[in-house]
Amino acid sequence: MKILEANQIQKSYGNKINKQEVLRGVSLSIEKGEFVSIMGASGSGKTTLLNVLSSIDKVSNGTIKIEGSEITGMREKQLAQFRKNKLGFIFQDYNLLDTLTVKENILLPLSITKTPRKEAESRFTRIANELGIYEIKDKYPNEISGGQKQRTSAARAFIHEPSIIFADEPTGALDSKSASDLLNKLSSLNETLAATILMVTHDPLAASYCSRVIFIKDGQIYTQLNKGEQDRQHFFQDIMKTQGILSGVQYEH
Amino acid sequence: MNINQLIFRNLLKNIKHYYLYVFALIFSVCLYFAFVTLQYDPSMDAVEGTIKGGAAIRVTSILLIVIVAIFLFYANAIFIKRRSKEIGLFQLIGMTKDRIFWILGVENFILYFGALFLGTFVGFSFSKLIILVLFKITGVKGIAKLHFSTEALVQTILVFAVIYIFIMLMNYVFIKRQTILNLFRVTSSAESRVKNMSVFEIIIGIIGLTGIGLGYYVSSKLFDGDFQTMTELFGAMAFILGAVILGTYLFYKGSVSFLFNLVRKSKNGYLNINEVLSLSSIMFKMKSNSLLLTIITTVSALAIALLSLSYISYYSAEKNAETSIPANFSFGTSEEARLFTDQLTKDKIAYDETKIDVVIADINIGKILEADFNNLNFDPNMTTLAVVSENSIKGVDLEADETLFTNYDGALKKFMPMKNTGNVTLETKDESIPLRLIGLDDVPVVSYKYTAGGMPTMIVDDIVYDKLSTNKNDKLQLASSTYFGVDINKSAEIDKANDIYHDLKLEEQDFSLSRLDMATTNKANMGLTMFIVGFLGLTFLITSGCILYFKQMDEGEEEKHNYTILRKLGYTKGDLLRGIQGKQLFSFGIPLAIGLAHSYFAVQSGWFFFGTAWTPMLTVMVVYTLLYSIFGLLSVLYYKKVINSAL
Repeated sequence: MKILEANQIQKSYGNKINKQEVLRGVSLSIEKGEFVSIMGASGSGKTTLLNVLSSIDKVSNGTIKIEGSEITGMREKQLAQFRKNKLGFIFQDYNLLDTLTVKENILLPLSITKTPRKEAESRFTRIANELGIYEIKDKYPNEISGGQKQRTSAARAFIHEPSIIFADEPTGALDSKSASDLLNKLSSLNETLAATILMVTHDPLAASYCSRVIFIKDGQIYTQLNKGEQDRQHFFQDIMKTQGILSGVQYEH
Repeated sequence: MNINQLIFRNLLKNIKHYYLYVFALIFSVCLYFAFVTLQYDPSMDAVEGTIKGGAAIRVTSILLIVIVAIFLFYANAIFIKRRSKEIGLFQLIGMTKDRIFWILGVENFILYFGALFLGTFVGFSFSKLIILVLFKITGVKGIAKLHFSTEALVQTILVFAVIYIFIMLMNYVFIKRQTILNLFRVTSSAESRVKNMSVFEIIIGIIGLTGIGLGYYVSSKLFDGDFQTMTELFGAMAFILGAVILGTYLFYKGSVSFLFNLVRKSKNGYLNINEVLSLSSIMFKMKSNSLLLTIITTVSALAIALLSLSYISYYSAEKNAETSIPANFSFGTSEEARLFTDQLTKDKIAYDETKIDVVIADINIGKILEADFNNLNFDPNMTTLAVVSENSIKGVDLEADETLFTNYDGALKKFMPMKNTGNVTLETKDESIPLRLIGLDDVPVVSYKYTAGGMPTMIVDDIVYDKLSTNKNDKLQLASSTYFGVDINKSAEIDKANDIYHDLKLEEQDFSLSRLDMATTNKANMGLTMFIVGFLGLTFLITSGCILYFKQMDEGEEEKHNYTILRKLGYTKGDLLRGIQGKQLFSFGIPLAIGLAHSYFAVQSGWFFFGTAWTPMLTVMVVYTLLYSIFGLLSVLYYKKVINSAL
């Protein structure tokens, strides 16, 4: 089943005279339960693509459908409604509210959708245990480490069981240990909950945890790689190779 | 772009941003100038003649400038911090610190002196209104003229120039002290770190609440007779002040977060949007502003209380005069009374004359006092009262062993309550006459000159009175032993009679009193107090409201990224705005509620002296709340802008 379907989306900034085209007709689709990452150099438009797909930014042209409903024509209020039910977010700089405890941060999406308290509690216990942050539930964000913050952020993205989770450089600010830790958790959540994840990253190692990698160059899809049956190590090598070609450096073997 | 253009653009951008600051600046210049104009105004002599208005106005203008100066310093400190990024950027592109200081100096110069110019202009026209209000309120009959006073202008410019220099000095120190890195970091380092409540904070929170509660409790007991000596009374007052002020401080420091934390704990992590925006952020923010909020609450409570009390006395001036002087005019000798009445007859003014003989005697009232006054430097067994005969008062007929107390009122009555009935003893020079008190009456009989300011007048049977007057204690007697009261029949002619009274220079006599004069003087005094407290209070309200608003602006900017997160999570602008309204209800509502509660308890203690009246207090409180809400509303509008731009 197709969770996300983008058709020829374009995005440009600026006015008529000084126009900056960031996305030049990107089409992609994501199946339910997929763990996809978007890779590309700085300025290739990958973050813009994520913003547009996640309804935070508006497209200039093209259509985006999430679970069959088109979001490109929606109004601000409908979009908010849509975001709270269908989408989850993980960001590079965590985006936790400093004044709320870990638990309160995680429960926020459930509070918007007015999920019953009991249900919220059981979901919280489950996800927090899964991500190993149950013990720190009453701490404030500035009392915990970056890895813990990012796992909190991940828990918040998963707790309301959204149709799709958008992750923008989730490992960008983490050390390698915390990063691989988080990625392991993400891929296990992807398997156990059958959650769909779309991740933007420029780190090939992070991308190698995914089932599919889409490469973007200058606002267009350059190519994509499927992990298929191969193991992560090989997939990582493939990604490295493709990235090398992408950035114009010839891969010597 | 050269430096001048830079300055100019900065200025334009800032004015749009800080319109409220510019407004407050203009407002304070305007008010100050108006007051100084008033001080130098020749028509002030009319006020000065009767009541020392000039001195009071001068003190007011000094207080005014103190409030304004503190406000400006504070606001400047907020703004320079906000602009630290900009200053860092200037430094980064290679400007020297002196250059930056120069830019800020010119910018502030234009702002200040522009406001000074506008302020004096508005203040000049405003001064007439102020004089009109003053005249109206103090009952001075005069025509308010517009006088432009050069002295006032010079003084205003001088004072604000000094403030400007100080502010530039502050900025200079600020810029000198900063490194480029610091400047970029300043906003984040200023915020206190968010962490869990410690036991210490919980204790502070509880102490704060108990402090305020205890202060209130003692203040309501203040005049119930629990504190009898003056030392005890002053001790209690000092305790109330200390407990309430310290309690308020600790309340902001700990109690708010303590209470909010309790609420949060009960939610068990499941917060709705209102709670996210209000509970969690106020918990941490109020702590860092506790000193500021304490000052704002205490001073505004003081202003409300003073204003309510002077309002009460202003409106009870006439009633007070009536209880103090039973007739329109009163005299102590028949010559004075004759002089006056002769002139009245000549001018065809109809009048009634009352003549009452008064003997001063010691009375033992120990048994009818409700409280025990052993410690007071006053002996209830030998209380000196004015005694009159039943024949002097219409409608009173007493038995030989009966007595009636009349006109016991005001503060003294609450301070030293008496029973309605009981036994008292009248001491003549060589015998004690036991009498039965049959009641307390309200009717004033003789003027306050005879009754030691507010003690009751004792009415006795004619026989007892005769016995007393032949055997009176000469040491106690006053210069006048007879009270002459003159009542003017037509109230329209009282003014005319009062002129006669003054023409005859009767006011120079010791026992001569004019009720009209007393009421006018009281009114003028209280009116001036009301006027001064009112304007000072208004200035304080506006400046403190501005400061709270600026603080909220800062908070809004700081929390902007939170709104971004929340909107990404799917909260609509409307959701956030509702949450912000809730937050502002607390941010402005808590200091307001505390201020109102403080002033209520202060006024309540004051009722003891001034008499109970709800209307003036409620009026003042409502006006205060309304003005205060304006700032709350403005801040919500500002937040709305921030929220809109958050995604």
